[in-house]
Amino acid sequence: MNTVLRDGLKRRVERLQCLPSSPAVLQPLLELLRQPSNRIDVKRVVQLVSYDKTIAAQCLRIANSPLYGRARETESIHAAVVSLGIQRVEDILMTCCLHKFSSGAKWASDSGVFWRHSLGCATVSRELADRIDYSDPEKAYLAGLLHDLGVLVNSLAYPEEYGAVLKTAAEKGIPLEEQEMQDLGFSHCESGKILGAMWKLPRSIVEVIAFHHSLQAAPEDNPVIALVHISDALCRLRGLGHGYDEWRSVDLAADPAWPALRKHCPQIEKMDLARFTMDLDAFVPRVQALVEAVFTAPKPEQPEVSSVL
Amino acid sequence: MSTEALHAPPAKTERNEGQDPIYLRIRDLVYQSCGIYHSEEKMYLLIAACKRRMAVLPERVNTAREYLDMLTNPLKKAQESRELLNQITIGETCLFRSQPQLNALHNVILPEIAAERSKIGLKKLKVWSAGCSTGEEPYTLAMFLMEEKEKLLKDWIFEIQATDLNDNSVEKARAGVYGDYALRNTPELYKRKYFEPAEGNKLRVKDEVKTRITFSRLNLNDDSRMVFMKGMDLIFCCNVLIYFDEVSKKRVVQHFFSNLMPNGCFFLGQAESLFLVNADFRLVHLPGTTVYRKPGPDIPKVGKS
Repeated sequence: MNTVLRDGLKRRVERLQCLPSSPAVLQPLLELLRQPSNRIDVKRVVQLVSYDKTIAAQCLRIANSPLYGRARETESIHAAVVSLGIQRVEDILMTCCLHKFSSGAKWASDSGVFWRHSLGCATVSRELADRIDYSDPEKAYLAGLLHDLGVLVNSLAYPEEYGAVLKTAAEKGIPLEEQEMQDLGFSHCESGKILGAMWKLPRSIVEVIAFHHSLQAAPEDNPVIALVHISDALCRLRGLGHGYDEWRSVDLAADPAWPALRKHCPQIEKMDLARFTMDLDAFVPRVQALVEAVFTAPKPEQPEVSSVL
Repeated sequence: MSTEALHAPPAKTERNEGQDPIYLRIRDLVYQSCGIYHSEEKMYLLIAACKRRMAVLPERVNTAREYLDMLTNPLKKAQESRELLNQITIGETCLFRSQPQLNALHNVILPEIAAERSKIGLKKLKVWSAGCSTGEEPYTLAMFLMEEKEKLLKDWIFEIQATDLNDNSVEKARAGVYGDYALRNTPELYKRKYFEPAEGNKLRVKDEVKTRITFSRLNLNDDSRMVFMKGMDLIFCCNVLIYFDEVSKKRVVQHFFSNLMPNGCFFLGQAESLFLVNADFRLVHLPGTTVYRKPGPDIPKVGKS
């Protein structure tokens, strides 16, 4: 990408920061994320969640969605935090922040598609991490959730042009990033990287955003890039992509992501990729339910969340 | 029990049973012995199959635990596993069973083959339905390819070999008469174009479709005949390998591999995989489906990074 293009893009992204819905709890939340998990203060988490009524209500709905498989309905934020565990709550909070951010402006396309893909990729990343014994499945989840931040940026910063990009990519059945390069001259990796840096996301996450479509340029010490790359590819081939089928055959087993991941997770040799793919088909309805939980407006009879705390 | 009832959507109680560790062990047992895998959403099918077996067994088997004991009993497991497999695959077959497979053929695989063949001017496609049962699969492929012949595969000739071990199945396949249940996924367009009315409100496949297919009896274990099935572009072998033990499964799959043209495709049933069966094939992902592909000298661009 040339300098003129990059500066123009950067200015557009900076303007996005002024959106009324810029998530206020994001920065303190990220501060919290950087603490070692045993030092995270549950009270502080509950406080953060309760800070924003919409987010608190959403947090409860997500906690009670089938994807998290709670046995009993969780009614208070504190109970939700305790039963889900701190890491999951952070995932949920991050989801809510993103949602709040994304709902502030006009979308170039159906925002539900973006959510299904992001939450789908997050879920699949965590599942993949579990199966190959990657040490930090929650980081994989977060990276999966945020990997396409650039799609959000493009959608908000270039509402008209980007609508056309999505439409053409869908008509041709080709990967979104290829059409972005053709029409815009940059992909969602570049724009996502800019917003990620402005939001001061952890380095490892920004790297996933920037390199998940260009593994050959990716830093070798970050296996999450390869992990999310694979999850992303699988999601796009199993109805959790960008809202259309990409008509191509993908030899996933020959993907450069595997050798990159193998160095960190030798367990990979024992994984039955075909079977993992079959399991994914069962994820689709659950991810759909989670997306609905994020989007559903709170019912009027629902108790005021702040009073429950 | 009607075939419709076999495929009724899962009841709520069965969904909870789907997480029963005993049934999950039966699931793993079935997967290890025949390669058929029931993902969470498909567990109700496995449970229903187990229950149908439990209901007809002469021994008193009332619980999943007792049935698991039976499946692991050295004296009974061989026979009972086979019976369970029969239940699992019962009524599975219908025309146009796997639309994602046809979409993949239409959008990716056939255009690739067409582009490759046009270089050498060979406009011929050979297809094999191995284990064709009562003919649903080969007729689906024949009609699908006849449609393609009007567009992408204009002036092409195609040959479809349809084989099965069971004489009765082959006879039924040749007759090509199907009722509502087998035709439940068949688009109206195809019904009008390629079928004619038959006795008892059924539909019979028209002769112009039948002549595209060569039906014959073939035992996949018969090495002397397997070596003559050469030059295939597409091989379909859905829910057949599950009946083979590990050693013969490996041998049969190796035959399929040798019989395929370079870049040729091997299609399995929706829940089957070649994990630990064959490492020569490459697992290829397409929207909604997976295909095993024989590597060729100029395999189309794959694995974007």
